[in-house]
Amino acid sequence: MMHAEDGESAQPVLNSPLDVKKSHEIPQSTTGMTTAAHPKQQAPAIRISAEAVPAQAFADIINGARLYELWSRFAFHDIRQRFRRSVLGPLWLTISMGILVATLGLVFSTLFQQDASKTLPYISTGIIFWGLLTGCITDGTTVFISSEAIIRNVPAPLSIHFYRLMARNIIIWGFNMAIYLVVVAYFELVPGWNALLFIPGFILFLINLAWMSLAVGVLSTRYRDIPQLVANFIQVMFFLTPIFWSPLTLPNRPAFVTLNPFYHLIEIVRAPLLGDEVSSASWALCIGMAAAGLGFTAWLYRRAHARIAYWV
Amino acid sequence: MAHISIENLTVEFAIFGASSRSLKNRILSHATGGRIMSGARDVVTVRAIDGLNLEINDGDRIGLVGHNGSGKTTLLRVLAGIYKPSGGAITIEGQVGALLDPTAGMDPESNGIENIYLRGYMMGMSRREIATKLDDITEFAGLGDFLALPLRTYSAGMFARLAFAVSTAAHNDILLIDEGISAGDAEFQKKVQQRIESLFDRTPIVILASHSEALISEFCNRRVQMEHGVLKSAA
Repeated sequence: MMHAEDGESAQPVLNSPLDVKKSHEIPQSTTGMTTAAHPKQQAPAIRISAEAVPAQAFADIINGARLYELWSRFAFHDIRQRFRRSVLGPLWLTISMGILVATLGLVFSTLFQQDASKTLPYISTGIIFWGLLTGCITDGTTVFISSEAIIRNVPAPLSIHFYRLMARNIIIWGFNMAIYLVVVAYFELVPGWNALLFIPGFILFLINLAWMSLAVGVLSTRYRDIPQLVANFIQVMFFLTPIFWSPLTLPNRPAFVTLNPFYHLIEIVRAPLLGDEVSSASWALCIGMAAAGLGFTAWLYRRAHARIAYWV
Repeated sequence: MAHISIENLTVEFAIFGASSRSLKNRILSHATGGRIMSGARDVVTVRAIDGLNLEINDGDRIGLVGHNGSGKTTLLRVLAGIYKPSGGAITIEGQVGALLDPTAGMDPESNGIENIYLRGYMMGMSRREIATKLDDITEFAGLGDFLALPLRTYSAGMFARLAFAVSTAAHNDILLIDEGISAGDAEFQKKVQQRIESLFDRTPIVILASHSEALISEFCNRRVQMEHGVLKSAA
Protein backbone atom coordinates (compact mmCIF):
# COMPACT_ATOMS: atom_id res chain seq x y z
CA MET A 1 0.00 0.00 0.00
CA MET A 2 2.78 2.45 0.73
CA HIS A 3 5.85 2.63 -1.28
CA ALA A 4 9.01 4.68 -1.17
CA GLU A 5 11.96 5.10 -3.45
CA ASP A 6 15.25 3.51 -2.65
CA GLY A 7 16.43 6.48 -0.67
CA GLU A 8 18.65 6.37 2.34
CA SER A 9 16.13 7.99 4.63
CA ALA A 10 12.98 6.67 3.10
CA GLN A 11 12.10 3.21 4.19
CA PRO A 12 9.29 1.27 2.63
CA VAL A 13 6.57 0.66 5.10
CA LEU A 14 3.87 -1.83 4.57
CA ASN A 15 0.44 -2.03 6.15
CA SER A 16 1.31 0.82 8.48
CA PRO A 17 3.98 0.44 11.14
CA LEU A 18 3.26 -1.90 13.97
CA ASP A 19 0.61 -0.89 16.38
CA VAL A 20 2.60 -0.10 19.49
CA LYS A 21 -0.05 -1.29 21.87
CA LYS A 22 -0.24 -4.62 20.19
CA SER A 23 3.46 -5.27 20.34
CA HIS A 24 3.33 -4.71 24.06
CA GLU A 25 0.59 -7.24 24.49
CA ILE A 26 2.73 -9.94 23.00
CA PRO A 27 4.79 -11.42 25.78
CA GLN A 28 8.49 -11.27 25.27
CA SER A 29 9.44 -14.87 24.95
CA THR A 30 12.82 -16.45 25.22
CA THR A 31 11.67 -19.82 24.08
CA GLY A 32 13.39 -19.50 20.75
CA MET A 33 12.14 -20.44 17.33
CA THR A 34 11.70 -24.12 17.59
CA THR A 35 8.10 -24.16 16.70
CA ALA A 36 8.30 -26.85 14.09
CA ALA A 37 9.45 -29.18 16.79
CA HIS A 38 6.27 -29.20 18.75
CA PRO A 39 3.48 -29.68 16.31
CA LYS A 40 1.04 -30.73 19.02
CA GLN A 41 1.02 -27.78 21.33
CA GLN A 42 -0.31 -24.39 20.43
CA ALA A 43 2.68 -22.21 19.82
CA PRO A 44 2.81 -19.01 21.85
CA ALA A 45 3.75 -15.80 20.11
CA ILE A 46 7.48 -15.69 19.77
CA ARG A 47 9.28 -12.42 19.53
CA ILE A 48 12.84 -12.27 18.38
CA SER A 49 14.43 -8.89 18.59
CA ALA A 50 18.03 -8.13 17.78
CA GLU A 51 18.72 -7.22 21.41
CA ALA A 52 17.33 -10.50 22.71
CA VAL A 53 19.39 -12.73 20.42
CA PRO A 54 22.25 -13.52 22.86
CA ALA A 55 19.73 -14.47 25.55
CA GLN A 56 18.32 -17.13 23.26
CA ALA A 57 21.46 -19.23 23.49
CA PHE A 58 20.13 -20.80 26.66
CA ALA A 59 16.72 -21.44 25.10
CA ASP A 60 18.49 -23.07 22.17
CA ILE A 61 20.19 -25.54 24.53
CA ILE A 62 16.94 -26.33 26.38
CA ASN A 63 14.77 -26.61 23.29
CA GLY A 64 17.35 -28.81 21.62
CA ALA A 65 17.36 -31.17 24.60
CA ARG A 66 13.57 -31.48 24.38
CA LEU A 67 13.91 -32.83 20.86
CA TYR A 68 15.46 -36.04 22.17
CA GLU A 69 13.34 -38.08 19.80
CA LEU A 70 14.94 -36.35 16.84
CA TRP A 71 18.58 -36.41 17.90
CA SER A 72 18.55 -39.84 19.49
CA ARG A 73 17.14 -41.34 16.31
CA PHE A 74 19.72 -39.58 14.20
CA ALA A 75 22.42 -40.78 16.60
CA PHE A 76 21.26 -44.39 16.18
CA HIS A 77 21.03 -43.78 12.47
CA ASP A 78 24.67 -42.64 12.44
CA ILE A 79 25.75 -45.92 14.01
CA ARG A 80 23.57 -48.04 11.77
CA GLN A 81 24.81 -46.10 8.80
CA ARG A 82 28.43 -46.76 9.64
CA PHE A 83 27.99 -50.52 9.63
CA ARG A 84 25.36 -50.84 6.93
CA ARG A 85 25.73 -54.01 4.91
CA SER A 86 28.33 -55.42 7.26
CA VAL A 87 27.41 -58.79 8.70
CA LEU A 88 28.43 -58.11 12.29
CA GLY A 89 27.27 -54.49 12.25
CA PRO A 90 28.03 -52.37 15.31
CA LEU A 91 29.52 -55.44 16.98
CA TRP A 92 32.62 -54.37 15.09
CA LEU A 93 32.94 -51.57 17.62
CA THR A 94 33.25 -54.13 20.38
CA ILE A 95 35.53 -56.38 18.35
CA SER A 96 37.89 -53.56 17.36
CA MET A 97 38.12 -52.42 20.94
CA GLY A 98 38.77 -56.00 22.05
CA ILE A 99 41.59 -56.42 19.56
CA LEU A 100 43.17 -53.10 20.53
CA VAL A 101 42.97 -53.83 24.25
CA ALA A 102 44.31 -57.37 23.83
CA THR A 103 47.25 -56.19 21.73
CA LEU A 104 48.19 -53.30 24.00
CA GLY A 105 47.75 -55.51 27.04
CA LEU A 106 50.00 -58.17 25.56
CA VAL A 107 52.66 -55.70 24.46
CA PHE A 108 52.86 -53.74 27.68
CA SER A 109 52.56 -56.61 30.10
CA THR A 110 55.46 -58.27 28.24
CA LEU A 111 57.46 -55.09 27.76
CA PHE A 112 57.24 -53.88 31.34
CA GLN A 113 56.98 -57.41 32.70
CA GLN A 114 53.77 -56.65 34.48
CA ASP A 115 51.02 -58.94 35.53
CA ALA A 116 48.39 -59.14 32.78
CA SER A 117 45.64 -59.32 35.43
CA LYS A 118 46.71 -55.83 36.49
CA THR A 119 47.51 -54.24 33.13
CA LEU A 120 44.60 -55.51 31.05
CA PRO A 121 41.79 -54.12 33.24
CA TYR A 122 43.74 -50.87 33.56
CA ILE A 123 44.41 -50.52 29.85
CA SER A 124 40.92 -51.57 28.78
CA THR A 125 39.11 -49.06 30.99
CA GLY A 126 41.61 -46.36 30.10
CA ILE A 127 41.26 -46.91 26.35
CA ILE A 128 37.47 -47.16 26.50
CA PHE A 129 37.08 -43.82 28.27
CA TRP A 130 39.84 -42.23 26.24
CA GLY A 131 37.85 -43.27 23.18
CA LEU A 132 34.72 -41.57 24.50
CA LEU A 133 36.67 -38.45 25.44
CA THR A 134 38.47 -38.05 22.13
CA GLY A 135 35.40 -39.12 20.16
CA CYS A 136 33.37 -36.28 21.65
CA ILE A 137 36.12 -33.73 21.11
CA THR A 138 37.15 -34.70 17.58
CA ASP A 139 33.52 -35.07 16.49
CA GLY A 140 32.99 -31.70 18.12
CA THR A 141 35.29 -30.08 15.59
CA THR A 142 32.85 -30.93 12.78
CA VAL A 143 29.59 -30.90 14.70
CA PHE A 144 28.20 -27.82 12.96
CA ILE A 145 30.29 -27.89 9.79
CA SER A 146 29.10 -31.36 8.79
CA SER A 147 25.46 -30.47 9.40
CA GLU A 148 25.53 -27.41 7.19
CA ALA A 149 22.62 -28.44 4.98
CA ILE A 150 20.38 -29.00 7.98
CA ILE A 151 21.47 -25.90 9.87
CA ARG A 152 20.80 -23.62 6.92
CA ASN A 153 17.50 -25.15 5.86
CA VAL A 154 15.68 -26.65 8.82
CA PRO A 155 14.03 -24.60 11.56
CA ALA A 156 15.42 -26.37 14.62
CA PRO A 157 17.68 -25.46 17.54
CA LEU A 158 21.36 -25.67 16.74
CA SER A 159 22.05 -27.69 19.84
CA ILE A 160 20.37 -30.79 18.36
CA HIS A 161 23.60 -31.41 16.43
CA PHE A 162 25.57 -31.29 19.66
CA TYR A 163 23.16 -33.69 21.41
CA ARG A 164 23.28 -36.01 18.44
CA LEU A 165 27.07 -36.12 18.72
CA MET A 166 27.00 -36.82 22.45
CA ALA A 167 24.35 -39.52 22.06
CA ARG A 168 26.26 -41.18 19.22
CA ASN A 169 29.48 -41.30 21.21
CA ILE A 170 27.74 -42.64 24.31
CA ILE A 171 26.17 -45.41 22.23
CA ILE A 172 29.62 -46.32 20.88
CA TRP A 173 30.93 -46.26 24.43
CA GLY A 174 28.17 -48.69 25.43
CA PHE A 175 29.39 -51.19 22.84
CA ASN A 176 32.95 -50.76 24.05
CA MET A 177 32.03 -51.28 27.69
CA ALA A 178 31.30 -54.91 26.82
CA ILE A 179 35.08 -55.36 26.72
CA TYR A 180 35.39 -54.04 30.25
CA LEU A 181 32.80 -56.58 31.41
CA VAL A 182 34.65 -59.39 29.62
CA VAL A 183 37.96 -58.36 31.21
CA VAL A 184 36.40 -58.05 34.68
CA ALA A 185 34.78 -61.47 34.35
CA TYR A 186 37.93 -63.09 32.98
CA PHE A 187 40.23 -61.81 35.74
CA GLU A 188 37.51 -62.16 38.38
CA LEU A 189 38.00 -58.55 39.36
CA VAL A 190 35.79 -57.32 42.21
CA PRO A 191 35.75 -53.51 42.27
CA GLY A 192 33.92 -53.39 45.64
CA TRP A 193 32.04 -50.40 47.00
CA ASN A 194 34.37 -47.95 45.30
CA ALA A 195 32.60 -48.89 42.07
CA LEU A 196 29.59 -46.84 43.19
CA LEU A 197 31.71 -43.74 42.77
CA PHE A 198 31.62 -44.49 39.07
CA ILE A 199 28.17 -42.90 38.84
CA PRO A 200 29.11 -39.40 40.05
CA GLY A 201 32.44 -39.81 38.27
CA PHE A 202 30.82 -40.60 34.95
CA ILE A 203 28.37 -37.70 35.27
CA LEU A 204 31.22 -35.31 35.99
CA PHE A 205 33.20 -36.84 33.12
CA LEU A 206 30.29 -36.28 30.71
CA ILE A 207 29.74 -32.70 31.88
CA ASN A 208 33.36 -31.95 31.10
CA LEU A 209 33.16 -33.65 27.72
CA ALA A 210 30.00 -31.72 26.92
CA TRP A 211 31.46 -28.29 27.41
CA MET A 212 34.72 -29.21 25.66
CA SER A 213 32.86 -30.63 22.70
CA LEU A 214 30.53 -27.66 22.30
CA ALA A 215 33.31 -25.12 22.75
CA VAL A 216 35.49 -26.87 20.19
CA GLY A 217 32.49 -27.06 17.86
CA VAL A 218 31.82 -23.32 17.98
CA LEU A 219 35.48 -22.36 17.64
CA SER A 220 36.10 -24.84 14.79
CA THR A 221 33.19 -23.46 12.83
CA ARG A 222 34.65 -19.98 13.02
CA TYR A 223 38.36 -20.82 12.74
CA ARG A 224 38.99 -23.68 10.37
CA ASP A 225 42.47 -24.38 11.75
CA ILE A 226 41.09 -25.54 15.06
CA PRO A 227 40.12 -29.05 13.82
CA GLN A 228 43.73 -29.65 12.74
CA LEU A 229 45.08 -28.26 15.98
CA VAL A 230 42.74 -30.44 17.98
CA ALA A 231 43.69 -33.58 16.04
CA ASN A 232 47.36 -33.00 16.82
CA PHE A 233 46.68 -32.10 20.40
CA ILE A 234 44.69 -35.30 20.96
CA GLN A 235 47.47 -37.39 19.46
CA VAL A 236 50.08 -35.86 21.76
CA MET A 237 47.82 -36.19 24.78
CA PHE A 238 47.35 -39.90 24.10
CA PHE A 239 51.01 -40.44 24.95
CA LEU A 240 51.22 -37.88 27.75
CA THR A 241 48.15 -39.19 29.55
CA PRO A 242 48.45 -42.40 31.56
CA ILE A 243 46.21 -44.63 29.44
CA PHE A 244 48.40 -47.56 28.49
CA TRP A 245 51.07 -46.82 31.07
CA SER A 246 50.59 -46.25 34.76
CA PRO A 247 52.02 -43.33 36.75
CA LEU A 248 52.51 -45.82 39.60
CA THR A 249 55.52 -47.20 37.73
CA LEU A 250 57.22 -43.80 37.89
CA PRO A 251 59.35 -42.83 40.91
CA ASN A 252 57.74 -39.40 41.04
CA ARG A 253 54.92 -37.98 39.00
CA PRO A 254 55.92 -35.50 36.35
CA ALA A 255 53.93 -32.29 35.90
CA PHE A 256 52.39 -33.53 32.68
CA VAL A 257 50.59 -36.12 34.78
CA THR A 258 49.64 -34.17 37.88
CA LEU A 259 48.59 -31.10 35.89
CA ASN A 260 47.09 -33.04 33.01
CA PRO A 261 43.31 -32.45 33.06
CA PHE A 262 42.74 -35.52 30.89
CA TYR A 263 44.52 -37.71 33.44
CA HIS A 264 42.19 -36.58 36.19
CA LEU A 265 39.14 -36.94 33.96
CA ILE A 266 40.06 -40.51 33.10
CA GLU A 267 40.94 -41.19 36.73
CA ILE A 268 37.48 -40.32 38.10
CA VAL A 269 35.88 -43.02 35.94
CA ARG A 270 38.71 -45.55 35.69
CA ALA A 271 39.64 -45.83 39.35
CA PRO A 272 36.10 -46.66 40.59
CA LEU A 273 35.71 -49.35 37.92
CA LEU A 274 39.00 -50.92 39.03
CA GLY A 275 38.02 -50.70 42.69
CA ASP A 276 40.60 -48.03 43.46
CA GLU A 277 40.09 -44.80 45.30
CA VAL A 278 39.92 -41.53 43.43
CA SER A 279 42.20 -38.90 44.92
CA SER A 280 40.46 -35.82 46.22
CA ALA A 281 42.73 -33.75 43.98
CA SER A 282 41.19 -35.41 40.92
CA TRP A 283 37.65 -34.75 42.15
CA ALA A 284 38.45 -31.14 42.94
CA LEU A 285 40.15 -30.55 39.61
CA CYS A 286 37.33 -32.10 37.60
CA ILE A 287 34.64 -30.19 39.50
CA GLY A 288 36.57 -26.95 39.10
CA MET A 289 37.13 -27.67 35.43
CA ALA A 290 33.44 -28.41 34.90
CA ALA A 291 32.42 -25.16 36.57
CA ALA A 292 34.96 -23.03 34.71
CA GLY A 293 34.35 -24.83 31.43
CA LEU A 294 30.59 -24.54 31.59
CA GLY A 295 30.96 -20.85 32.35
CA PHE A 296 33.30 -20.35 29.42
CA THR A 297 31.16 -22.34 27.00
CA ALA A 298 28.00 -20.54 28.12
CA TRP A 299 29.72 -17.23 27.43
CA LEU A 300 31.00 -18.46 24.07
CA TYR A 301 27.69 -19.94 22.95
CA ARG A 302 25.81 -16.85 24.01
CA ARG A 303 28.14 -14.76 21.93
CA ALA A 304 28.38 -17.00 18.91
CA HIS A 305 25.31 -19.20 18.54
CA ALA A 306 23.44 -16.73 16.36
CA ARG A 307 26.32 -16.57 13.90
CA ILE A 308 26.94 -20.26 13.47
CA ALA A 309 24.37 -20.43 10.66
CA TYR A 310 26.46 -17.85 8.76
CA TRP A 311 29.77 -19.52 9.51
CA VAL A 312 28.97 -23.09 8.46
CA MET B 1 -4.38 -17.49 14.65
CA ALA B 2 -1.20 -17.44 12.71
CA HIS B 3 0.39 -14.07 12.44
CA ILE B 4 3.77 -12.60 11.60
CA SER B 5 4.91 -9.09 12.16
CA ILE B 6 8.26 -7.85 11.04
CA GLU B 7 9.41 -4.55 12.51
CA ASN B 8 12.30 -2.68 11.00
CA LEU B 9 14.17 -5.95 10.42
CA THR B 10 17.82 -5.72 9.48
CA VAL B 11 20.05 -8.70 8.84
CA GLU B 12 23.77 -8.32 8.43
CA PHE B 13 26.43 -10.89 8.25
CA ALA B 14 30.16 -10.90 7.91
CA ILE B 15 31.64 -12.87 5.06
CA PHE B 16 35.11 -14.04 5.93
CA GLY B 17 37.69 -14.41 3.25
CA ALA B 18 39.85 -17.47 3.40
CA SER B 19 42.58 -15.53 5.10
CA SER B 20 40.63 -14.17 8.00
CA ARG B 21 39.05 -17.52 8.69
CA SER B 22 42.36 -19.03 9.69
CA LEU B 23 43.68 -18.60 13.16
CA LYS B 24 47.20 -17.94 11.89
CA ASN B 25 46.21 -14.75 10.18
CA ARG B 26 44.26 -13.66 13.18
CA ILE B 27 47.28 -14.16 15.41
CA LEU B 28 49.73 -12.71 12.90
CA SER B 29 47.59 -9.67 12.43
CA HIS B 30 47.69 -9.10 16.16
CA ALA B 31 51.41 -9.64 16.25
CA THR B 32 52.05 -7.17 13.49
CA GLY B 33 49.96 -4.49 15.10
CA GLY B 34 47.67 -2.15 13.28
CA ARG B 35 49.54 -1.85 10.02
CA ILE B 36 48.46 -4.99 8.22
CA MET B 37 45.34 -5.37 10.27
CA SER B 38 43.00 -4.00 7.68
CA GLY B 39 44.50 -6.17 4.97
CA ALA B 40 44.57 -9.32 7.03
CA ARG B 41 40.99 -9.02 8.14
CA ASP B 42 39.23 -8.85 4.84
CA VAL B 43 35.81 -9.08 6.37
CA VAL B 44 33.01 -7.90 4.19
CA THR B 45 29.75 -7.16 5.89
CA VAL B 46 26.70 -7.86 3.81
CA ARG B 47 23.43 -6.22 4.69
CA ALA B 48 21.03 -8.78 3.31
CA ILE B 49 17.87 -7.19 4.69
CA ASP B 50 17.60 -3.51 5.44
CA GLY B 51 14.83 -2.04 7.60
CA LEU B 52 12.01 -4.26 6.49
CA ASN B 53 8.48 -3.81 7.84
CA LEU B 54 5.74 -6.27 7.03
CA GLU B 55 2.56 -7.58 8.58
CA ILE B 56 1.38 -11.02 7.57
CA ASN B 57 -2.04 -12.22 8.61
CA ASP B 58 -3.96 -15.43 8.67
CA GLY B 59 -4.98 -16.39 5.16
CA ASP B 60 -2.14 -14.57 3.45
CA ARG B 61 -0.40 -16.40 0.66
CA ILE B 62 2.60 -14.27 -0.07
CA GLY B 63 4.52 -14.46 -3.29
CA LEU B 64 8.01 -13.19 -2.54
CA VAL B 65 9.73 -11.94 -5.66
CA GLY B 66 12.99 -10.21 -6.46
CA HIS B 67 16.30 -10.69 -8.23
CA ASN B 68 18.84 -13.24 -7.18
CA GLY B 69 20.45 -11.92 -4.04
CA SER B 70 17.63 -9.56 -3.21
CA GLY B 71 17.20 -11.11 0.23
CA LYS B 72 14.28 -13.48 -0.34
CA THR B 73 15.94 -16.59 1.04
CA THR B 74 17.49 -14.61 3.87
CA LEU B 75 14.05 -13.37 4.86
CA LEU B 76 12.69 -16.91 4.84
CA ARG B 77 15.63 -18.05 6.97
CA VAL B 78 15.02 -15.29 9.49
CA LEU B 79 11.36 -16.28 9.72
CA ALA B 80 12.47 -19.88 10.21
CA GLY B 81 14.71 -18.78 13.08
CA ILE B 82 17.87 -19.87 11.29
CA TYR B 83 19.29 -16.39 10.86
CA LYS B 84 18.84 -13.98 13.73
CA PRO B 85 18.01 -10.31 13.28
CA SER B 86 20.85 -7.86 13.74
CA GLY B 87 18.35 -5.02 14.04
CA GLY B 88 14.63 -4.79 14.61
CA ALA B 89 12.41 -7.68 15.59
CA ILE B 90 10.04 -10.32 14.32
CA THR B 91 7.02 -11.67 16.15
CA ILE B 92 5.58 -14.98 15.10
CA GLU B 93 2.41 -16.73 16.20
CA GLY B 94 2.13 -20.27 14.93
CA GLN B 95 4.22 -23.29 14.07
CA VAL B 96 6.75 -22.59 11.39
CA GLY B 97 7.58 -25.19 8.79
CA ALA B 98 10.12 -24.62 6.06
CA LEU B 99 10.65 -26.16 2.65
CA LEU B 100 13.94 -24.45 1.99
CA ASP B 101 15.56 -27.73 1.08
CA PRO B 102 12.99 -30.52 0.69
CA THR B 103 15.73 -33.13 1.03
CA ALA B 104 17.28 -31.94 4.33
CA GLY B 105 17.86 -34.89 6.63
CA MET B 106 17.68 -37.52 3.89
CA ASP B 107 20.47 -40.01 3.51
CA PRO B 108 21.48 -41.63 0.19
CA GLU B 109 22.54 -44.88 1.82
CA SER B 110 19.22 -45.51 3.55
CA ASN B 111 16.19 -46.95 1.84
CA GLY B 112 13.02 -45.12 0.90
CA ILE B 113 11.01 -45.95 4.02
CA GLU B 114 13.91 -45.03 6.32
CA ASN B 115 14.25 -41.76 4.47
CA ILE B 116 10.59 -40.97 4.95
CA TYR B 117 11.20 -41.28 8.69
CA LEU B 118 14.46 -39.31 8.65
CA ARG B 119 12.92 -36.48 6.68
CA GLY B 120 9.80 -36.63 8.85
CA TYR B 121 11.81 -36.27 12.06
CA MET B 122 13.65 -33.33 10.55
CA MET B 123 10.33 -31.66 9.89
CA GLY B 124 9.40 -32.06 13.54
CA MET B 125 7.06 -35.02 13.20
CA SER B 126 6.96 -37.77 15.79
CA ARG B 127 7.37 -41.42 14.95
CA ARG B 128 3.65 -42.05 15.35
CA GLU B 129 2.75 -39.08 13.21
CA ILE B 130 4.96 -40.31 10.40
CA ALA B 131 3.54 -43.82 10.74
CA THR B 132 0.00 -42.53 10.26
CA LYS B 133 1.04 -40.58 7.19
CA LEU B 134 3.21 -43.32 5.76
CA ASP B 135 0.51 -44.77 3.51
CA ASP B 136 -0.38 -41.38 2.13
CA ILE B 137 3.27 -40.57 1.45
CA THR B 138 4.16 -43.88 -0.17
CA GLU B 139 1.01 -43.86 -2.26
CA PHE B 140 1.65 -40.36 -3.45
CA ALA B 141 5.32 -40.99 -4.24
CA GLY B 142 4.26 -44.03 -6.25
CA LEU B 143 7.67 -45.65 -6.04
CA GLY B 144 6.38 -49.11 -5.19
CA ASP B 145 9.08 -51.65 -4.48
CA PHE B 146 11.81 -49.05 -4.90
CA LEU B 147 11.02 -47.87 -1.37
CA ALA B 148 12.95 -50.88 -0.10
CA LEU B 149 16.06 -49.85 -2.05
CA PRO B 150 18.72 -47.34 -0.99
CA LEU B 151 18.08 -43.79 -2.08
CA ARG B 152 21.32 -43.68 -4.06
CA THR B 153 19.83 -46.14 -6.56
CA TYR B 154 17.01 -43.69 -7.36
CA SER B 155 16.95 -41.47 -10.39
CA ALA B 156 16.92 -37.73 -9.73
CA GLY B 157 13.21 -37.65 -10.52
CA MET B 158 12.37 -40.47 -8.13
CA PHE B 159 14.41 -38.81 -5.40
CA ALA B 160 12.56 -35.54 -5.96
CA ARG B 161 9.20 -37.35 -5.84
CA LEU B 162 9.99 -38.90 -2.49
CA ALA B 163 11.32 -35.66 -1.00
CA PHE B 164 8.27 -33.83 -2.28
CA ALA B 165 5.87 -36.44 -0.94
CA VAL B 166 7.28 -36.29 2.59
CA SER B 167 7.88 -32.57 2.67
CA THR B 168 4.30 -31.78 1.72
CA ALA B 169 2.85 -34.15 4.33
CA ALA B 170 3.54 -31.88 7.27
CA HIS B 171 0.98 -29.70 8.93
CA ASN B 172 2.09 -26.23 9.97
CA ASP B 173 0.55 -22.84 10.66
CA ILE B 174 3.18 -21.04 8.67
CA LEU B 175 4.96 -22.51 5.71
CA LEU B 176 8.05 -21.04 4.08
CA ILE B 177 8.85 -22.27 0.59
CA ASP B 178 11.94 -21.36 -1.37
CA GLU B 179 11.84 -21.48 -5.16
CA GLY B 180 9.32 -23.59 -6.96
CA ILE B 181 8.26 -26.86 -5.49
CA SER B 182 7.52 -29.51 -8.02
CA ALA B 183 8.73 -32.91 -8.93
CA GLY B 184 8.46 -35.60 -11.51
CA ASP B 185 7.29 -36.05 -15.05
CA ALA B 186 4.32 -34.53 -16.85
CA GLU B 187 1.87 -37.18 -15.70
CA PHE B 188 2.98 -36.62 -12.11
CA GLN B 189 2.52 -32.87 -12.37
CA LYS B 190 -1.25 -33.09 -11.99
CA LYS B 191 -0.93 -34.95 -8.72
CA VAL B 192 1.66 -32.40 -7.61
CA GLN B 193 -0.75 -29.60 -8.40
CA GLN B 194 -3.49 -31.14 -6.26
CA ARG B 195 -1.11 -31.81 -3.42
CA ILE B 196 0.21 -28.26 -3.36
CA GLU B 197 -3.36 -26.99 -3.39
CA SER B 198 -4.32 -29.11 -0.40
CA LEU B 199 -1.12 -28.11 1.39
CA PHE B 200 -1.92 -24.43 0.84
CA ASP B 201 -5.53 -24.98 1.89
CA ARG B 202 -4.63 -26.35 5.29
CA THR B 203 -1.84 -23.87 6.00
CA PRO B 204 -2.97 -20.48 7.35
CA ILE B 205 0.10 -18.57 6.11
CA VAL B 206 2.25 -19.47 3.15
CA ILE B 207 5.26 -17.50 1.99
CA LEU B 208 6.54 -18.61 -1.37
CA ALA B 209 9.75 -17.20 -2.79
CA SER B 210 9.80 -17.80 -6.49
CA HIS B 211 10.82 -16.45 -9.87
CA SER B 212 7.81 -18.05 -11.49
CA GLU B 213 5.10 -15.47 -12.11
CA ALA B 214 2.72 -18.25 -13.08
CA LEU B 215 3.16 -20.01 -9.77
CA ILE B 216 2.71 -16.81 -7.80
CA SER B 217 -0.35 -15.61 -9.63
CA GLU B 218 -1.90 -19.03 -9.27
CA PHE B 219 -1.32 -19.65 -5.59
CA CYS B 220 -0.72 -16.29 -3.94
CA ASN B 221 -3.01 -13.47 -2.93
CA ARG B 222 -0.27 -11.01 -1.98
CA ARG B 223 2.90 -10.06 -3.73
CA VAL B 224 5.96 -8.74 -1.99
CA GLN B 225 8.89 -7.54 -4.02
CA MET B 226 12.37 -7.14 -2.61
CA GLU B 227 15.36 -5.41 -4.07
CA HIS B 228 18.82 -5.26 -2.49
CA GLY B 229 17.41 -6.28 0.86
CA VAL B 230 14.81 -3.53 0.84
CA LEU B 231 11.09 -3.95 0.45
CA LYS B 232 10.34 -2.53 -2.98
CA SER B 233 6.63 -2.99 -3.08
CA ALA B 234 3.93 -5.00 -1.44
CA ALA B 235 0.32 -5.56 -2.27
